[in-house]
Amino acid sequence: MNFLIDSLKLIVSLDPDLYEIIWLSLRISFSALLISCIIGLPISGLLSSTNFYGKRTLIIFFNSMMALPPVFVGLILYLLFSSTGALGFLNLLYTPSVMIVAQVIIILPVIISISTELLEQIFMEYKEIFDSFDVKLKNRIKTTVFDARIPLVTCVLTGLGRALSEVGAIIIVGGNIIHYTRVMTTTIALETSKGNLEMAMSLGIVLILISIGINTIVMIMKMLAKKYSYD
Amino acid sequence: MTKKTDHIQLTNINFTINKKLFFNNLCLNFSTSGITVILGPNGSGKSLLTKIIKGLVKFESGSLSIKLDNKKPLIGYLSQDIIFLRRDVYSNLAYPMKINGYSKNQISKRINFLLDYFKFNNKEESARRLSEGNKQYLAFIRTLVNKPKLLILDEPSSNLDMNYTKKIEDYLIKNKVDIKIIMVTHDVFQAKRLADEILLINEGKVIEISKKNKFLKSKNIIVQKFLNGNFF
Repeated sequence: MNFLIDSLKLIVSLDPDLYEIIWLSLRISFSALLISCIIGLPISGLLSSTNFYGKRTLIIFFNSMMALPPVFVGLILYLLFSSTGALGFLNLLYTPSVMIVAQVIIILPVIISISTELLEQIFMEYKEIFDSFDVKLKNRIKTTVFDARIPLVTCVLTGLGRALSEVGAIIIVGGNIIHYTRVMTTTIALETSKGNLEMAMSLGIVLILISIGINTIVMIMKMLAKKYSYD
Repeated sequence: MTKKTDHIQLTNINFTINKKLFFNNLCLNFSTSGITVILGPNGSGKSLLTKIIKGLVKFESGSLSIKLDNKKPLIGYLSQDIIFLRRDVYSNLAYPMKINGYSKNQISKRINFLLDYFKFNNKEESARRLSEGNKQYLAFIRTLVNKPKLLILDEPSSNLDMNYTKKIEDYLIKNKVDIKIIMVTHDVFQAKRLADEILLINEGKVIEISKKNKFLKSKNIIVQKFLNGNFF
């Protein structure tokens, strides 16, 4: 029980090492989320509003990628970015940048799959309006994304949750280097193995608090969506 | 004022439903002014025909050619299945104008004019939460915002009370000089009130298309039966 009190003390005392790790985790996960949204949402927009050969195969691919084991992503990236790998010349292995790349690969399918399903539903619902008013594809996508904006936020936050809780890939490609690539999940793994349970527990508590925070925002967004969606 | 080159013409249209040729070389030549009312029993192909004219449904072969005032007209289409965006009444009305690049000022002017004209005051309400009647009324107003030159209406007053029905009918009569109207209805009395030309179709076949007075005096036994309510 003592280690639990000590871990709470560590959080309250604003321990610089602890907050450095939290800050790096948030920075990496938010960067990965932003990049995934920039890439993923237009792809979802296109997948939901156009018909082309291989579309369903692509959707199946992204759905399957949601279950991609993070350690496997880590392994592939390790092979790519290691000094003998195809992208070794970039010297990105064991840097926060490659950790962001790993998280993008992990959360991009989540964002694409969930948002495509959501946008497709609204797009089909609006098809009659779009056809009746001869709405161009660009405007169809814009309208659909705009009207889905609140549920889309919940989908994006789901991606953030997955990014923050991920450990397998970033421990391989980040190397868990102190003051450089050490993030919450990798620190928990390391400190637990070392028996430093206070630090591991403090980070666990922070992760849970962030998770509660994200879920609270999701819940509020859902309530707002219900109230302001005009549905 | 219609021009000599104006036409709304369907030539040899073929359309298959469930492997059965529904429209078999369908040929139609609508008058280019006034109100054409399409009558027919359920499943006769009235709605399908309006969708073909609007271009929502692709037919297998044949041709469709529409020219009013020497050009392809802007078509306003009111479907039986009314869908609104997940937005308020004003935004739903503004949408067709917005995507066509009208300014905020032009949009607001046009919408306020229409809402005043049709005495519809629920501007800020969710369009999707309106009653079925109000939805249909609003959908009719929405088809007018872009000032179409050809108005295709699929049972525009099927859910409306007398007051709203009269408002719509008055509008159609008042504007039929400037707008060509093609309208589907089940209501023979409404057809008699509004039509300049009547088309009766059954099972995808044209039974008769003629000016109202001629149609009402038609010797065609199916027309007679339909008008007397003994068709079914």
